[in-house]
Amino acid sequence: MGAYRKKVQIVILILVVLIGGFAIGNTLFRGDSKIPGVGDSPPGFSLFDLNGNAHNLSDYEGKPMVITFWGTFCPPCVKELPEFQRLYDKWHSKGLEVLAINLSEADLPVQNFVSKFDLSFTVLRDVNRKVERQYGLRSYPTTFFVKPDGTISEIAVTAMTEQQIQERVEKLF
Amino acid sequence: MNYLEFSSDAFIAAFFLYCFGFIFYMIAIGGKKWSNRDPKAHVKRWSRIAFIVSILGLAAHLTFFFTRWYGSKQIPTSNMYEFMTFLGMSIMIAFVIIFAIYRTPLLGMFALPLTIIIVAYASVFPQEVQPLIPSLNSIWLKIHVTTAALGEAFFAVGFAAGLMYLLRVVDFKQTSQAAKRAQRWVEFTLYVLVVIIGFILTVFAFRGAGYEAQFLQEKVTIDNRGQESTTSETVMYTMPPIFKPYNSITQKMDSFLGMQEPLLETPSWMNGVNAGRKLNTVVWSIITGSLLYGIARLLLRKRLGAAIHPYMDGIDPEDLDEISYRAIAIGFPVFTLGALIFAMIWANIAWSRFWGWDPKEVWALITWLYYSAYLHLRLSRGWQGQRSAWLAVIGFVIVMFTLIGVNLIISGLHSYAGV
Amino acid sequence: MFQNTKCECGHQNHIGTVLCESCGKPLGEELLSDEPLEMRYDGVARRSQKANPNFIDKIWNFFSSVKIAVYLIIITLLASILGTIFRQENLLNEDPATYYEIQHGTIGKIYYMLGLSHTYESWWYTTLLVMIGTSLVVCSLDRVLPLYRALSKQQIRKHLRFILRQKVVYQAQISGDETKIVSALGEHLKKKRYRVHMDGTALLAEKNRFSRWGPYINHIGLILFLLAVLARSIPGFQMDMYVAVQQGQTVEIEGTSYYIKNEQFTVDYYTDDELPDALKGTARAKLYETKAVLYECTANCNNVTQEPVLKEVDRHDIVMNDPLIYEGLKAYQSGFDATPRLEAVKPVIINKETGEEYGPFELEIRNPKTSFEVGPYKLELHSQFMEFAIGENGEPTTLSREPNAPAYLFILSGPELKAGGEPYLYFPNQIDKLQFNQDALNRPIADRFEIKVNGMENVKLSGPTTYLNIRKDKALPYIWIGATISMIGLIMGFYWHHRRIWLRVDRGELSLGAHTNKNFYGMRSDVAWALGKAGIEVDPKSLDNGGNKT
Repeated sequence: MGAYRKKVQIVILILVVLIGGFAIGNTLFRGDSKIPGVGDSPPGFSLFDLNGNAHNLSDYEGKPMVITFWGTFCPPCVKELPEFQRLYDKWHSKGLEVLAINLSEADLPVQNFVSKFDLSFTVLRDVNRKVERQYGLRSYPTTFFVKPDGTISEIAVTAMTEQQIQERVEKLF
Repeated sequence: MNYLEFSSDAFIAAFFLYCFGFIFYMIAIGGKKWSNRDPKAHVKRWSRIAFIVSILGLAAHLTFFFTRWYGSKQIPTSNMYEFMTFLGMSIMIAFVIIFAIYRTPLLGMFALPLTIIIVAYASVFPQEVQPLIPSLNSIWLKIHVTTAALGEAFFAVGFAAGLMYLLRVVDFKQTSQAAKRAQRWVEFTLYVLVVIIGFILTVFAFRGAGYEAQFLQEKVTIDNRGQESTTSETVMYTMPPIFKPYNSITQKMDSFLGMQEPLLETPSWMNGVNAGRKLNTVVWSIITGSLLYGIARLLLRKRLGAAIHPYMDGIDPEDLDEISYRAIAIGFPVFTLGALIFAMIWANIAWSRFWGWDPKEVWALITWLYYSAYLHLRLSRGWQGQRSAWLAVIGFVIVMFTLIGVNLIISGLHSYAGV
Repeated sequence: MFQNTKCECGHQNHIGTVLCESCGKPLGEELLSDEPLEMRYDGVARRSQKANPNFIDKIWNFFSSVKIAVYLIIITLLASILGTIFRQENLLNEDPATYYEIQHGTIGKIYYMLGLSHTYESWWYTTLLVMIGTSLVVCSLDRVLPLYRALSKQQIRKHLRFILRQKVVYQAQISGDETKIVSALGEHLKKKRYRVHMDGTALLAEKNRFSRWGPYINHIGLILFLLAVLARSIPGFQMDMYVAVQQGQTVEIEGTSYYIKNEQFTVDYYTDDELPDALKGTARAKLYETKAVLYECTANCNNVTQEPVLKEVDRHDIVMNDPLIYEGLKAYQSGFDATPRLEAVKPVIINKETGEEYGPFELEIRNPKTSFEVGPYKLELHSQFMEFAIGENGEPTTLSREPNAPAYLFILSGPELKAGGEPYLYFPNQIDKLQFNQDALNRPIADRFEIKVNGMENVKLSGPTTYLNIRKDKALPYIWIGATISMIGLIMGFYWHHRRIWLRVDRGELSLGAHTNKNFYGMRSDVAWALGKAGIEVDPKSLDNGGNKT
């Protein structure tokens, strides 16, 4: 009887620690579990570019990446994209990829914008805000810096100066 | 015959019957010491009359409830007026059930005034039938509200018995430290009841006089982008403004006792909905209540508790203790079912989640936690009698805060029942 | 300290026993007092009480204490109150990082920084709930087993001290055949549905023992409830999201293979007759309904490059309080937006000088074609602005991607127009046209040409949008089961009372003691009734042995 009681006690206390630990752990690490954070790998997607070619995130595996969300209706984005272009020109030979995901706008404004600033990096078209939601966007512009090992090194939720972008890109190498 | 009109007549009848019932109870207890009669027979006779009158009041109240239901084609529990009258009715039902078990007619002496106050409080709110918004149109709402109110009514009876117990056992002649503290708190509880009566009287006095004042309040809101925007809204007062709304100008104001201008301004940090009007009402209630209390003290020349205490002689305190506990024990499962389980079922249907941490829900949970703590404490030695009676009193304060305070102070989904 | 736990009747009791498990004689400190006995759990020792507790025993004993349980309840209660002071984050539309400071100043900032803005999701609140859950398990287990043992093997002849220290006591000299009197009393008690056990001149009458299990059944229900709540945080156990579906459109339910279509949305308003005076003239919705169809994607799902293949699986008219339910997935009516929006317009081109009219041509608002041939004219869409504005640099720009003030810049070419075309800025909304002064912007071409819509039949408006709340909650059945069990336990425990009467006759003296866990009033009247039937008249109140004294 005595030994049996002891076993019951230990089993129950272990269960409490496990279940309770799970519950408390959940509250500590939940919240942003679905939204990618620093150290996570960015959620995969498959999107069209302006010419109707499909691009998968996995196509760019192993490369340093800048994933930025932009729209023509967002003045800081409009300012930022040409800056990305200059950095892209500088770093592309070393492997840098820029994926600029448009925030579900119509064809024409995107088309116009790209030709106006002569953007040569990959411009992708989100549809019905799907990828935007996957990435948990709250404000624009938002830029994800992804290291070659496929993890996010930094998330910028504000507009950046060219200098600031440069510093962050350098860290990717 | 218009059912709604008939039902309001029944309501008035119920109110007066309750008042008469209460008066007869007072005769029953107060007349004990009159000469030329046998006190026991006197109490028995008059408490019987009082009980019958109260039962008639309940019958009229039930008539009100069902005719209004029939007349408006929806169960009358959907706004504050309807809910509070229903609560008053439930307290009477709970009282009758407890009476059937314990046959202590004098319990009515405290259950009745409680009902009267609550029913009078209900009349402060607009009485017209309001159409339901779609989310409230569910059978579960009706079940949830009625069951929860019934559970709370038992807590109310527990409170009445607890207060009676305190008035019975707290000796106002003793001067020890502990006795003095108990006396002070009993007196304070009575004072709060008087203030509530003061509130009701003030509302009806100024409503009867048709008092009105109107202000234009400017509100500055800062949105997420940090941009300021100013909106102005008209605030109506039905009591003379001791406190005018923060940052407002008087548009129209009836003069009151020579008072032409608001005396003070509501502080800016009180920024709830209609904070100014609520503060003004609270201040008026305290003034009227204190006046009433002061007059009572002058007439009695002793504290209210000390005046009531001698009349409680002859009532067995242990019976009161048990009645208070028993009422809460009967109410607890009903409350659990109505305020938590049925509420969850309804919330799951109406808002697609069974629990959403809405302030009203949280306060229902707080009430439940409080009474479960009470029930566990009752098991321990030393928590019967006076301590338990105090717990019953505090418990009812929590119940009333859940029902009214949450709507006044905190906003949420239940604010449809707003003031 | 050595403690003798052997009773004089020869029974060996566990450590911590208050009343001998066999004869009921008070032990230890209880022996010294004359107060009514502490009858909780029938005086048996809690299961875990030991002479030398080790570390595990200490933790166990902590949770086994009712005092600790009450403290936990009180702390949870206070914590819950804290959470209602300001609005919680989950009820907020604004950004919580700034909301509290803006709304409530420094106090609000502190409130936010302390994490009170999400009290009920915080680690410490969850810790409290976990501790309450542990306490429920340990307390119940520690008490219910010994109690069960004690109640299932009760001795009929109890120690005299045990009987006389009950809260309901009667003692008197009797004359006549003792056994007969005792069995007559037993017969009367049977009529009150007591189970009567006799042992010569001793008697034990008992009823409603099952009500003693009520609290434990309640606790089991609560534990199940808490576990079910916990299970909801396992991924895949629950889902909670909102979709906005315009009439006629089909929308993917993300995270599932389902698509939902809004075939038709209707809303009824209260008429003025139905409204009280204060609300007359306001649009108060009475009922709104979405005719919804649920599809399951069978191929090409999650692939933007191809159209998904959909199969209808369910359809339902969703109204408030009546969701679409399909295999654990529920779609609730949440809200709606009936404001009509432009979807497409069919404008014509008018040559103002000749009065000739060409067209119409169809211009979609969101994704228009970029070139149109209208009569002899050619229109090239140069740019489109969903919410037209003049930017800082003086160039036209858009403020958002929603068509709040759409504008289209066409390059118009054809007869009587310059080679290479002339620009024409077109606002489909009349109100925008006036606000931005379309004609002035388009001068000089505005004097010769006009693009405009003739009549409402050439305007296509969007249907109303319904907001649906999509839910999945696998834990829900367990929640209801837990709540039901808990309720059964509460009813058992609160509406029935375990009543016991012990009686023995020693040399012509009858001693009676009675105990109940609740409602001594009823207990006393039962005893008085039985004694009365046996010819002993007593006032129920006189049986009271005190005990509630404070």
